[in-house]
Amino acid sequence: MNEFLVSLLITLIKIGVLLGVALGLGAYLTWFERKLAGHIQARLGPTVVGPFGLLQPLADGLKLMTKESIIPKGADVPVYYLAIMMAVAPAILLFSVIPFGPEFTLFGYQIKPIISDVNIALLVVFAMGSLAVYGTIFSGWASNSKYAFIGSLRKAAVIIAYEVVLGFSVLGVILIAGTMSTIGIVEAQIERGVWFIFYQPVAFILFLFCMLAESGRVPFDIQEAEAELVTGYNVEYGGMRFGALPLAEWYLNVMALSAIAVVLFFGGWSGPNILGPFSPYFWFLAKMFGLVFFVIWLHWTLPRFQAKDVTEIAWKIMLPLALVNVLVTAVVVYFFGGGT
Amino acid sequence: MPWINRATIDRVKQEFKEEVQVSSGEHAVSLEVSHGKLKDLLRYLKDKERFLHFIDMTCIDFPEDTRRFKGVYILYNPEENERVIIKAWAQNGKLPTVSDLWPGAKWAEREAYDMFGVEFEGHENLRRMFMWEGYEYFPLRKDFPMEGIPEQELPSLTEVLHGRTDPPSHDYEVLHTKVPTLEDLERTEKARLQKKAQLVLNWGPLHPGTHGTIWFLFDLEGEFVVQSDVILGQLHRGMEKIAENVYYFQFLPYTDRMDYISAICNELSYVTAVEKLLKVEVPEKAQYIRTMFAELQRINSHLLWLGTGALDLGALTVFLYCFREREKIMDIIEGNAGYRLTTAFLRIGGVHYDLAEGTLDVVKAFIKDFPQKLKEYHMLLTRNRIWLRRTKDVGIISREDVYAYGLSGPVARGSGVPYDLRKLEPYAAYDEVDFDIPVGEVGDVYDRYLVRMEEMAQSVKIIEQCVEKLEKMPKDAPYINKDHPAVIPPKEDVFMSLEDMVQSFRVVVHGENAPPGEVYSSAENPRGELGFYIYSTGGSKPYRLRIRSGALYNLSIFPKLIQGKTIADAIALLGSLDPVVGETDR
Repeated sequence: MNEFLVSLLITLIKIGVLLGVALGLGAYLTWFERKLAGHIQARLGPTVVGPFGLLQPLADGLKLMTKESIIPKGADVPVYYLAIMMAVAPAILLFSVIPFGPEFTLFGYQIKPIISDVNIALLVVFAMGSLAVYGTIFSGWASNSKYAFIGSLRKAAVIIAYEVVLGFSVLGVILIAGTMSTIGIVEAQIERGVWFIFYQPVAFILFLFCMLAESGRVPFDIQEAEAELVTGYNVEYGGMRFGALPLAEWYLNVMALSAIAVVLFFGGWSGPNILGPFSPYFWFLAKMFGLVFFVIWLHWTLPRFQAKDVTEIAWKIMLPLALVNVLVTAVVVYFFGGGT
Repeated sequence: MPWINRATIDRVKQEFKEEVQVSSGEHAVSLEVSHGKLKDLLRYLKDKERFLHFIDMTCIDFPEDTRRFKGVYILYNPEENERVIIKAWAQNGKLPTVSDLWPGAKWAEREAYDMFGVEFEGHENLRRMFMWEGYEYFPLRKDFPMEGIPEQELPSLTEVLHGRTDPPSHDYEVLHTKVPTLEDLERTEKARLQKKAQLVLNWGPLHPGTHGTIWFLFDLEGEFVVQSDVILGQLHRGMEKIAENVYYFQFLPYTDRMDYISAICNELSYVTAVEKLLKVEVPEKAQYIRTMFAELQRINSHLLWLGTGALDLGALTVFLYCFREREKIMDIIEGNAGYRLTTAFLRIGGVHYDLAEGTLDVVKAFIKDFPQKLKEYHMLLTRNRIWLRRTKDVGIISREDVYAYGLSGPVARGSGVPYDLRKLEPYAAYDEVDFDIPVGEVGDVYDRYLVRMEEMAQSVKIIEQCVEKLEKMPKDAPYINKDHPAVIPPKEDVFMSLEDMVQSFRVVVHGENAPPGEVYSSAENPRGELGFYIYSTGGSKPYRLRIRSGALYNLSIFPKLIQGKTIADAIALLGSLDPVVGETDR
């Protein structure tokens, strides 16, 4: 009984820490993106609020929260609100299967820095990725706006296409590691001393594309497409309700998927011990933000594809590639051994 | 540009005998044809004499004549490089439509119908062009008062909200005025499109993709546009009506407000036309200053096009890179003209100010630096796979369509038609500078993109030559021809000498009488041919001033190009046609 209470407590603390860190980082990612975009575009980015504009996210948040919220005429109000939850919840839930570091002992208790170490962790990732589409679809449908509707339908088409590719691209890693548990995959890489990106470069590139598509980043940001659809599915939202949608999609999703990419391809928390017990966390976050940086960099450099092109690329180019990759991996693993 | 040659006129006379009268003015040759033979003559000119390119169509109102309206058609022969004006009286307020010969006439005829109430028999969609459905008056008729019809004036927001201290920001019931707004929107939407598809998308009037207040209606089948309609007029200010009521020199600042991105080019087009009519000689220095600033303005305008075009296609950074360079040009213009956007820098007979101290150095620094920046833009876009995917083979315009729709500027050149008025009808100092005209091959969005990019490089070349020439000129060379009675002398002289003061007063108070006659003169604007057709009956104000807008004609092909394409293509296409609403609506 006592043990159950303690583990419950530990889990609650972990959830609290993770929520705080994820949402805080998500908010500060806006600052990071604006600053980065500024420098890419030969500007300075935010400088006024706080040193280096560091308080800008707070100011933005305050502004969004105090804004009048207008619900369009003819909107489906319950679904309108549900959409926000359906967008934010899966993005946060993605973090629940991410291992940030190795197991450690504190006050005699074994603690894993992961909320739930399930052995089907990757399936959870796919499931949450697919669930996120409901947020977009609901928001598009409930807004009673054609722009939002078109945007959300585009997103649905993209998610369907890229979920399939995502599944197949990760299959190679699962075959090699022999497990679906995220901790297991990281440990498999540490055991071998090789990151899986060297075994599965094609899979990584496919995963990267899927990551861009799922999080609606350039060049696959067709559901926003501010020039044609005026930001598409979230056009009828105001105030913090509006703020939550990009927060979930552009920041939380990108961070979570980057973290999963780090787990799958970059050896998770592995890295030289430079900071003592904090070293794994440092490496994990460094790798993760390296990927996030890459995504933002692309966002501010490339033009955007057309909707039909985006799905075409998924079905006609990436899916066959992923299948071939899986096949080759399977053959190699079968003959030369690999997983357990 | 030469006008129709003698041999052709003789052939026309042989064909039509007494039905055609030729009047050769100093600046234009026009054929006057009887109402019944108008269509035959136009068809003959198009098929037999190869006057393929439709330039413009408009009307003139003569209230004292029983026939009242006269239709004016301007055509161009690309093989001989000749223009001709055809005129015919309307009968019972009706003219035959020529939109079956040149689809580009569709909008011009709608405009004439909107402004004069002339009906065009056989026109497939004769609706108001700029005014709203249900408006009873025809503004360009001579009996329409300058100040408008009072009961049709719109109440201001203060009047509407009178007595209310808590005006709700989104209460359309309260804010609904006689201007077409939300309810009319629905009515117009239904009237404009026979709803055949799943979804009618209102794209505009205020939409980031339209670059202004154009209103598109897309009839969508999934994401594909089955048919579309363009509703213009949100920025219509009645420029042509204003022009009829002000002196020639007073209209100059209004031209700035048409294509506000290339103000100096507009002014240049206008002063060229007026100088032809008033026979004003322009000093050489002024010509070079004009050319240099017009080309700077062209780069400025193309940079805005590039930035917003790339922004539309998702390349967010190119936008700011373009604005960085654009800012430098704006500074140069501001340093010399005193204004950044609507400069009113040119004057009839010259330019307003002499070159400011150090202008040439700044310009030289700019043109030295700019080619590298141009390379940067090329690096970001030209071979980018996504950019190619979005622009290649999208919106292909054939050569025939260029002529039929009266397209001009980079849109025409993108389709391989070397129609550049700087070469064909040199104005300012364009005949003394050396430059090339880039043309495309396929005529798709990508070709138009490349043409504009190359035009910027060519503009740099022109500016270089102008700077060289200007540097050699003496500092005190005249920059305005103040010997001509129509020219307002520069302000310094007005305050110093009595004669100049008298002349200034005389022109400002009475205007300068122009000889009777007509002139059509056009200039190569960044957005195509901007032409001014001035019909003068003597007097210091034009009897009729028609503005031939390149952007309007270029936009008129949009509904045809977008059919069967997606809305994502619509912005790529619209960006490549590059209309500015100030000019399309005037």
